Amino acid sequence: MLILRLWNYIRGYVIIIVKGYFLEKFINICTRRQILLWDIKVRGSGVMTLKISIKGFKMLRPIAKKTNCSVRILRKKGLPFVFSRYRRRKAFVAGAVLFVFLLYVLTSFIWSVEITGNENIETAVIEQKLAENGVKAGKLKYNIDTDRVANSMMLAIDQLRWISITIKGTKAKIQVAERVLPPELVPMDQPCNIVARRDGVISSIVVKEGYAAVKPGDTVIKGQMLVSGSIPIKGEEERKRLVHAIATVEARTWYEESCEVKTKITEKKRTGNVLEHKSIELFTKRIKLFPKKIEFDEYDKIETEKRISLGGDLVLPFAIVTERFYESTEVEKELSLEEAKQLAADTAYKKALEKIPDGAKIVKPIANFKEDENGNLTAHVIIECLEEIGIEEKIGGE
Amino acid sequence: MGRKKHKKNKKEKNEVNLKEKLTEVLELPKEIVLNVPKLTIMGNTDIMIENYKGIVEYEENRVRINTAIGIIKITGSKLTIREITSEDIMVIGDIISLEFLR
Repeated sequence: MLILRLWNYIRGYVIIIVKGYFLEKFINICTRRQILLWDIKVRGSGVMTLKISIKGFKMLRPIAKKTNCSVRILRKKGLPFVFSRYRRRKAFVAGAVLFVFLLYVLTSFIWSVEITGNENIETAVIEQKLAENGVKAGKLKYNIDTDRVANSMMLAIDQLRWISITIKGTKAKIQVAERVLPPELVPMDQPCNIVARRDGVISSIVVKEGYAAVKPGDTVIKGQMLVSGSIPIKGEEERKRLVHAIATVEARTWYEESCEVKTKITEKKRTGNVLEHKSIELFTKRIKLFPKKIEFDEYDKIETEKRISLGGDLVLPFAIVTERFYESTEVEKELSLEEAKQLAADTAYKKALEKIPDGAKIVKPIANFKEDENGNLTAHVIIECLEEIGIEEKIGGE
Repeated sequence: MGRKKHKKNKKEKNEVNLKEKLTEVLELPKEIVLNVPKLTIMGNTDIMIENYKGIVEYEENRVRINTAIGIIKITGSKLTIREITSEDIMVIGDIISLEFLR
């Protein structure tokens, strides 16, 4: 019966009070004229309340006259009355319509581009190429043919192995997978030498093709030939046989970094005073709300952005940006010599580690401290590695 | 005149008998073919009468409804007409008795 009640609410009905002597007659005539009545209740003798549809109520006047009943409206219910109440408030209705319209319009644009999966390709590069293909914030999402964009992206960026573009709500989700580019190799049918990629001391050399130019224990510098691809032929001094040299050359290499030992360090400390600036970002424009002057000498600024979205994927082009300014002061801290040394060695070690390429084995790190004429201590860290240093190089001029 | 009327009545009666037999044989719904009211009663609170003719009396503790087989009298308390159309009427409330008056 819930559906029936809902239907009645949509159609609208009135609760009326009928007074008279021939209420049964009144009901009978109503039913005979196909007027639907419901919830008829007797309120004492000759008085009853009932519910009647709007259409039926309009047909009631002659029946009331005929049966000598008086009819009075108690209450009006239903959507038609709600609407008629708002009919006069034109601006309100216009606003409601505008709201729905704007919501629709705004959600048909892309407002954020999310790129995931890239490690070596810079996000900015992908964003730029996407923008060239029409995928960027502010573009109408219906105009984007994701398949076509994916294809042209594959052509535009070489390192891409795979790309998927999906538009969810107002967010364009871009997932990429990168191709691991093979190192530049000299084709097998072309003669080549093997040269050193960096300085080191040869620890082992295994030649499969070619003529070894160095032996274990030799010190080599970057670019020095390790294995030659041109093999002299016995008896014939002038002519040489050219081959594609293949060899595994392992060498000891060193990576060095230094860091000054400081017993006095300055640390930034927050004093606890915080100032907050709020601003609203509309599309790409930022509007500051209640700007205040920052009176701190030194401060950390932390910005948090809250995008307003409907259900995760439907990002609207509004954001509330909160800038927090934390007042900070520099505090000097005294370290013991041991602590300072340790800290400097650690920093130097970390710096050196960054330089070591993948595939190199760390044999041992050495740390020592040096004092210069001014009495400043410096930590030197040398990391000894074992790595493959041979790379192919085409034999030129032939 | 009188004779004619009598004849007509007889004819009608025959027709009713024939109709009744036919509906029984064909298992047709009686309330439609024979113009007999159909009563649906749920517990002692709801009563629905389909195929009625009109309301004779309506008060808080007594409702009389005219049908093809006579007047149906419902007594009880707090009786209200839940819904009324030209075909059916639904009365709810605490029903005490139901009578068929010829």
